[in-house]
Amino acid sequence: MASAHTAPLGLAPGAAAPSGPPQEVAAAAPMPDVLPAVKPRKGFVGFIRRHPTIAIGGFLLLVMLLIAVFAPYLGTVDPTALAPARRTREPSAEYWFGTDMLGRDVYSRVLYGARVSLIVGFAVALLSSVVGLAIGLVSGFVRVLDGIVMRIMDGLMSIPPILLAIALMALTRGSVRNVVIAITIAEIPRVSRLVRGVVLSLREQPYVEAAVASGTRMPVIILRHILPNTLAPITVQATYICASAMIIEAILSFIGAGTPPIIPSWGNIMAEGRALWQVKPYIVFFPAVFLSVTVLAVNLLGDGLRDALDPRMAKRL
Amino acid sequence: MLSYIVRRVLATIPVMAVVALFVFSLLYIAPGDPAAVIAGDQATPEDVERIRASLGLDRPFLIRFGEWAFRILQGDMGNSIFTNLPVTTMIAQRIEPTLSLMALTLLLAIFIAVPMGVVAAWKQGTIIDRAVMVFAVLGFSVPVFVVGYLLAYVFALELDWLPVQGYTSFSEGLWPWLENLILPAIALGGVYIALIARITRATMLEVLSQDYIRTARAKGVGQRGILFLHALKNAAVPIVTVIGIGIALLIGGAVVTESVFAIPGLGRLTVDAILRRDYPVIQGVVLLFSFIYVLVNLAIDLAYTLFDPRIRY
Repeated sequence: MASAHTAPLGLAPGAAAPSGPPQEVAAAAPMPDVLPAVKPRKGFVGFIRRHPTIAIGGFLLLVMLLIAVFAPYLGTVDPTALAPARRTREPSAEYWFGTDMLGRDVYSRVLYGARVSLIVGFAVALLSSVVGLAIGLVSGFVRVLDGIVMRIMDGLMSIPPILLAIALMALTRGSVRNVVIAITIAEIPRVSRLVRGVVLSLREQPYVEAAVASGTRMPVIILRHILPNTLAPITVQATYICASAMIIEAILSFIGAGTPPIIPSWGNIMAEGRALWQVKPYIVFFPAVFLSVTVLAVNLLGDGLRDALDPRMAKRL
Repeated sequence: MLSYIVRRVLATIPVMAVVALFVFSLLYIAPGDPAAVIAGDQATPEDVERIRASLGLDRPFLIRFGEWAFRILQGDMGNSIFTNLPVTTMIAQRIEPTLSLMALTLLLAIFIAVPMGVVAAWKQGTIIDRAVMVFAVLGFSVPVFVVGYLLAYVFALELDWLPVQGYTSFSEGLWPWLENLILPAIALGGVYIALIARITRATMLEVLSQDYIRTARAKGVGQRGILFLHALKNAAVPIVTVIGIGIALLIGGAVVTESVFAIPGLGRLTVDAILRRDYPVIQGVVLLFSFIYVLVNLAIDLAYTLFDPRIRY
């Protein structure tokens, strides 16, 4: 990214000729170490080297996934087990993250909470991508519908996502499924706008025009030329949606409009710790750290994917 | 230009109509029976029917929407199910703290984020640039209530510099007002600062590589003159656009921030309304915020035509 600034000024234009494999260059003329031979490593290791953010984000996310899957085997107890006799214990060897107002083990609750966050994040990312893709394709190809669909999307996008989700949740019973639906509806417009933009610009591409001219049928064009090109931007967008969905889920649960209190989600744990946070800050602290680290992991993954999949975008941001 | 302004103003009407239609039809879209949900678990069938009638769910959708939209246009948002007060009255009582918080956050964010982005672009690739980018990723990742609790714990509980919670009206003096709002504004501003700083950096990088910047440099314009007079001015449009779009983040975040810092604003009204399933109030708040959002972005769009002579429609 910073090559323009860090390139040695004394370098003659001809010295940087990058043609041919690096070994040949080294054999032909031993040059001073101005420009070390770049040997791009292939395979997994090379990919990780080139995209450290993907590596870090992916690793953190993998850890969270493993925690979520193996929560019952990580020294946890029943996260809903009440024990009024040992409530609000400080973190100790026995209760690693302490216990909450009802004597429940915060460590177990936080570990099980990873499940809710990840399920909501992934489900919303997947659902809103699929629905948004469909709407975007329709809007980009069926020009008659485009105006109407995009006006509806404009309207939806004018409602701040959290408020839209709150309004929906106020009308339904709190459950993980309804939280997923509410956040998905709030996120769909962004994907469909993105897909529509990609479709409109692709339709002007010579190879698509050539396909049309040679009589390829529309479904084949969409499948072969359009869809593969929407995949990269949608993947990037989906990671950001996943991150934002996890935050919105936590916020909904935190203000009492999300998953029912019986389910240990990070937002719920924090909501329960809220009344006591000035004296027992650890009840809020641990789920907050887990939530932040998970969202950070997904965001890093998104940034890394954006840089890897869309070099033009990477230069800008 | 006048015709553009007129067209742009008219174009917001369908958007607002869609917002209103959508917010209204949520009652019908929501899975399950909203009347039963609002009535609660202990409600008798009569209660459910009473609420169904008061929400108008027993009558045809379009007729009901027509009546409702007509009353909204007259400034009547209906009555709260819980207190039976007009929703507009309840909103009016709670709007000052929210607007104060949002205005302060907006100012704070712009004054922090824009210089951050400018410096990051100027010192591209250095440790300063890295630091700004790391801050941006963190700002996007750490939820507003987490930042809120952290700030309140450190600066209010441990250091005792500022009050932990509460709100004092602006009419009681600038400092008491500011004292209560500083921490919430910083907490709420996190994501917003990250967003603005990132866009500022990106746009500035683009502008700084333009020919006229090199010309200015060759003319002997100083570094500060280049950054703030030549570059920032030309980078203004995307930055201002993002500031407008980002207001959605402020609105959403305000609801949570008010809960953390016990500020009696619209966010608290919303949260209380959720717990009581007081849908007309939620509807009113969502409508109001969406309209504010649309109007702010309209104003920003129109401002371009006035401030940027390059934009001609």
